[in-house]
Amino acid sequence: MTPYMAVALTSLVAYFIAVKRLGWRPYDLGRALGRMAESLGAGVIFAVVNLLAAAGLVLGLRTLTDRFFSLYSLDDLVWLAVSMLQGWAWGLWRDSKDRRTATRPGAGATVS
Amino acid sequence: MPSSIIVRALGLATLALFFLAAFTPLPVFLYEMITVPVHIERADAIVVLAGGGVMLSGQLTDSSLRRTVRGIALYRDGLAPLLVLSGAEGRTSESAARSVLAGKCGVPDTAILASSAGHTTHEEVAALQPLLKARGVRRLILVTDGAHMRRAMGLVRDAGFEVLAAPVSEVETPTRPEPRLRLLRAALREGLALVYYHIAGYL
Repeated sequence: MTPYMAVALTSLVAYFIAVKRLGWRPYDLGRALGRMAESLGAGVIFAVVNLLAAAGLVLGLRTLTDRFFSLYSLDDLVWLAVSMLQGWAWGLWRDSKDRRTATRPGAGATVS
Repeated sequence: MPSSIIVRALGLATLALFFLAAFTPLPVFLYEMITVPVHIERADAIVVLAGGGVMLSGQLTDSSLRRTVRGIALYRDGLAPLLVLSGAEGRTSESAARSVLAGKCGVPDTAILASSAGHTTHEEVAALQPLLKARGVRRLILVTDGAHMRRAMGLVRDAGFEVLAAPVSEVETPTRPEPRLRLLRAALREGLALVYYHIAGYL
């Protein structure tokens, strides 16, 4: 369990540095974790779609050609990591759109 | 936005599954759900299914080697008079490499039946069926990985044989996060394969 104790310790240290030194608000951590969950969820959706598309491709190639294509070729962790990157990029793209909308003149809440 | 709430909930569920899989025995329970208990008695043949072929170096893959050694051990225990070694064709034939190993371990050539037909478990069993019937085999001991056993047993039973399970363990009961995740991966992979075999009408 040593590596996980280290993870807990560095998380705690990072939290204190962020709050005490950098002046970040603890409230924003909850929002950041929510955004992370969204990126992960988008990654899972990409992973399922990628898996179904790849399986369809393998079965299609089997039908259309004389060569054998194995479904075990889908048993690889790299495509899962790439799917997560797709989800992450998707989330960042959406965030940048939201930021642009919020900074547009006349958009967002007015301060009186 | 409702869609972003759903995506966030999916992400949280995935995180929860990840931590449950890494730090609890959940993968062990899931794995046990798809495996078949060991049941070994005397039979007409020991059938060792293909297990990933032969590496470029000419050596059997880990999975293939584990299955072959289990089959040889069962033969040496006198549980059946025939050792059937299946394996895919490739640069080097897996079944031929397995036969050489079995011969070196004291299994006589006359007791070895090698089959190199079929790329998938379904094709493999279809190719083995006439060979086994021709030898008068009715009851057999099936050797394959634990996770693969349920699917393979279903196919062999549907081919008209009485099947006894001699699964080969892929992993020890894991006590650390990474092996637990590997076990979950094996269980999910085989779960998907079972679903596919049912949809395709093989089972």
